[in-house]
Amino acid sequence: MKWVKRIGMAVAALVILPALTLLLLGLRSGAGRVQSSVEVQASPDQLWTWIDDGDHVKQWVSWTVEMKPWSPRAAVGATRSAVMRDANNGGAQMVIDGTCTEYAPPRTLGVKLSVPNEFEGLQTYHLTDLGDGRTRLVIEMSYHFDSALARLMEPLITPSARKKMDGDLARLKSLVESKAELR
Amino acid sequence: MKTYPVPDPPAILRALLLACAGDGHGELIAGDLHEEFLYLCEERGDGVGRRWYASQVVRSLPELLRLRIRSGDLTQLLAVLASVAAPLLLLDRLWCFVYSHIPLKDGLDRAAGLLAVNMAVLCIASAISGALARTARRAATLSLVSAMGVAVALWASVGAAPAWYIAGALLAAPASSLAGYKKWRTQ
Repeated sequence: MKWVKRIGMAVAALVILPALTLLLLGLRSGAGRVQSSVEVQASPDQLWTWIDDGDHVKQWVSWTVEMKPWSPRAAVGATRSAVMRDANNGGAQMVIDGTCTEYAPPRTLGVKLSVPNEFEGLQTYHLTDLGDGRTRLVIEMSYHFDSALARLMEPLITPSARKKMDGDLARLKSLVESKAELR
Repeated sequence: MKTYPVPDPPAILRALLLACAGDGHGELIAGDLHEEFLYLCEERGDGVGRRWYASQVVRSLPELLRLRIRSGDLTQLLAVLASVAAPLLLLDRLWCFVYSHIPLKDGLDRAAGLLAVNMAVLCIASAISGALARTARRAATLSLVSAMGVAVALWASVGAAPAWYIAGALLAAPASSLAGYKKWRTQ
């Protein structure tokens, strides 16, 4: 009986302690926010194409299967959707709806992202001309999850999202600087 | 006086017999077979003795397994296998859930921290299962079963497992199981 109690307490501790830790971490100031930046040897105009045009975006944002063009045309209020492949969900395809909230080429692009019953977020791209043909691209993203479990897991999701974004930006830099052509 | 080396039965078959027969009957059956094996080797040669031993072991296995299932012995082994594999598979599903909520999706690679959590959980589960053993042989069997549980979980997991993690998990499970047994014995 003593061992049963001990095992029960160990199992309870294994569930309760991590849950409490995640709850506390979820209260930190940067919860649900991701920011990443990269400096690229290209002009803002050249780089703008890579964040505005769906065929270009598809090349550097990994797991993107399809990126539809802006509808009806690129401007505030226009919509476009991205189809992502989710390897963690048996390869299921997920459609992320995007609505343009800010469109100021070649400096700022804001897109509100949403997947019904999953998450809502705002993604903003800032381009700064550094001179000498160099541009800094900063991507900021904030999001909110619909499900309580996903909100609890946010401290694990956010660092992974940042790592993924860093990888995507490194790919973008490599593609732009090698002047890759559209596939 | 000239002496002849005493032949040994095939080690793998003997180990298989002991593993399938369990603590209760293993030594007894193995001892009887060994006596008969030595007699046949002496009378009809080593080759005949080994073939006879192999056929006896193979023919005995289904009945021995049936007896173990009836005694509840095998059930305990399966429970240990499940108690090690199930938490790892549940964690794998949890990490899949976490990764599927990354807004722009990501691959199957897992952060080192998450793999460390897996490792800690498998060590605890293996140590608990090792504490169930009452003899050193049983502890060795349970440690092997816990390693098998890890192998099953790794095979069925969706997430990618780097080589260092696979090797570490396959070593940590039996080591924790034996540590759990030793800890229980000293108390």
